Amino acid sequence: MSTPVLETENLVKVYGRGPAQFHALKGLTFGIHRGESVAIVGKSGSGKSTLMHLLALLDEPTSGVVALDGRPVSKLKPKVVSALRNETFGFVFQQFFLNPHQTVLENVTLPLKIAGVPRAERDRRGMGALEQLEMADKAKNRATDLSGGQKQRACIARALINNPDVVFADEPTGNLDSATSETVEDILLNLQREHGITLVVVTHDEDLAGKCQRRLIMQDGQIVDEHTGVLPAGAGRQRRAAPHGASRPRRRILPFGRGARR
Amino acid sequence: MKSVDLTRSALSNTLRSKLRTALTVVAIVIGAFTLTLTSGLGAGINQTVDRVFGGFGVEDTIYVVPQMEAGAQEQDGPPEYDPEAGAEVDSGFRTGMLSATDVETIQELDHVAGVDTEVAAQLEYVQTTGGNQYQAQFEYALNDVLAEYAAGGAPDRSSMEATVPEDWLEIFGAADPEAVLGETLIVAAPNAVGQITEVEAEVVGVTQGTLAGVGFSPIPSVALAEEVAAVNADGYEGQLPESYIMAAAEIENLAENEDTVKAALAEEGLWGLTVEDQIAMFEAVIDAITWILSGFALIALLAASFGIVNTLLMSVQERTREIGLMKALGMSRAKVFTLFSMEAVLIGVMGSVAGIGLGLIAGFVTNGLLTADDGPLGGFAELSLFGLDPLAIGGIFLLILIIAFLAGTLPAARAAKKDPIEALRYE
Repeated sequence: MSTPVLETENLVKVYGRGPAQFHALKGLTFGIHRGESVAIVGKSGSGKSTLMHLLALLDEPTSGVVALDGRPVSKLKPKVVSALRNETFGFVFQQFFLNPHQTVLENVTLPLKIAGVPRAERDRRGMGALEQLEMADKAKNRATDLSGGQKQRACIARALINNPDVVFADEPTGNLDSATSETVEDILLNLQREHGITLVVVTHDEDLAGKCQRRLIMQDGQIVDEHTGVLPAGAGRQRRAAPHGASRPRRRILPFGRGARR
Repeated sequence: MKSVDLTRSALSNTLRSKLRTALTVVAIVIGAFTLTLTSGLGAGINQTVDRVFGGFGVEDTIYVVPQMEAGAQEQDGPPEYDPEAGAEVDSGFRTGMLSATDVETIQELDHVAGVDTEVAAQLEYVQTTGGNQYQAQFEYALNDVLAEYAAGGAPDRSSMEATVPEDWLEIFGAADPEAVLGETLIVAAPNAVGQITEVEAEVVGVTQGTLAGVGFSPIPSVALAEEVAAVNADGYEGQLPESYIMAAAEIENLAENEDTVKAALAEEGLWGLTVEDQIAMFEAVIDAITWILSGFALIALLAASFGIVNTLLMSVQERTREIGLMKALGMSRAKVFTLFSMEAVLIGVMGSVAGIGLGLIAGFVTNGLLTADDGPLGGFAELSLFGLDPLAIGGIFLLILIIAFLAGTLPAARAAKKDPIEALRYE
């Protein structure tokens, strides 16, 4: 296989001090290859979100190394890390985090705005990304006017706009019904296959996890198991009856901003 | 993020909760308005002073009065009698009178070309030819250079001439200042025992009152004032000691010798003042008042700055997730800080533009109403209460921006410090 785009070595994250210390990650060493789709699966508290935050350079490990393209990044300056995140990563969140005061297009082009791309080019690339997700007709709508599936597609467009090497998806289907979930899953995996984007998904959803090429099963801050190979669609569907599936009570959809407080 | 995008984002963020921003802006407007008015008031009066006195800059004269005695204010009881000090009549500067010896001393100083003296002239009444008698006091003859003339000019110091104030036209039955020129003013001077001697003077000028207080009463020529003083002194038993209210020393090349002459005067216990010194004293008082008033306006601005802090802290709190998202997507701390402090500065810009604009309008309109010919302060020549000082306006604008920026630093630092993970979890 090609060189790993993301690598970790003996990754440890400890929260708190003294007797209240909590070891969220207990020394993880693994690699994610370019163009691969990886699902990090586990119960809540297993450390999967912490791991994603460390991989996405949103947090710093207590000890150990995260390397991007073979280059350790843990000790880089915050400004450099911010720029790396902006250029290299795309993010899809469970709660979408679309700005209700802005149009869909403005939301989608936010990473380019942060990168300092001029407006005309931003809008052009934004429209391109929206077209790819069949959302071009919603470009001028307010983000709040969209349905859940449309919101998540807008989020995916936002994650793709800067042509990232790696897209991190944190429970991307957690707020969607099962039919919409399936569409979003297919979009994400198609993008990964067709554009060679590395996809890192954190999920409870075993159906989504089954569609990924590799699954890291986490428990108590350690990777306890690793499966390779896409599972047949049916296998995922049967497991769907598990407590973490669609039958789980839906969380309320909360966009940030003023609307969130109502 | 490019600065144009930062500015645009900051603007749309400030306009997001319009009422809250508007209320914060109002507080700034009040401060900016007050500052504009107070500085405009100072500028207007100082501009008036410059305009009124501006024509006398070429005067080569130092006005001399006895020096104020150090500690005179704290003195208990009356001062010791000094036969050399001249008569116990006070000059306009409340420093006593000059004696004949003082005048001689001044004359003998280096660079002094000549000395005119101001005598105290006491009037019983003045009268127009065949007209009524009116109560009057003379202006100092040496103040002729400070007056504003509606018609004619200063009296010739060696002729029997005088000017009259503008509101005296009616006693001559004239409507137009020019019509009074050449008329005769009869000046009645009492002697020591109350006998009246009438002296005739030609009216050669009509004065307008100025802010310096000159021109509200008739100005005699030096010769006329001396004539009246001579009549006043008549009838005394023995010799009345000669005394002068002040002396005007003409200096050769004032610009070069001013300091030398002043120092020499100070050594003799005398105090020399040029016209410019008098203007400077006047302007110093105006400036001090302006600064005190501006101090109050600054207090208002200080209060308003806490409004900015409060508004932005609320905004940062409400937009926690948005900040988290921007940081997660790669916005640096510095840019987040800039975004929020820019919002503070924008509030400052809105407040100061509105406040300064309203202040200028209010200032000029009020000035127009008060100093119109029939307005309450219309009687002063060339008075303006409000002036435009671009430097001061620019300074106020800049000051408010700095205050707004400083007020924004606390909330902006809070926003910049937020941890993206925590911020995204914030409900």
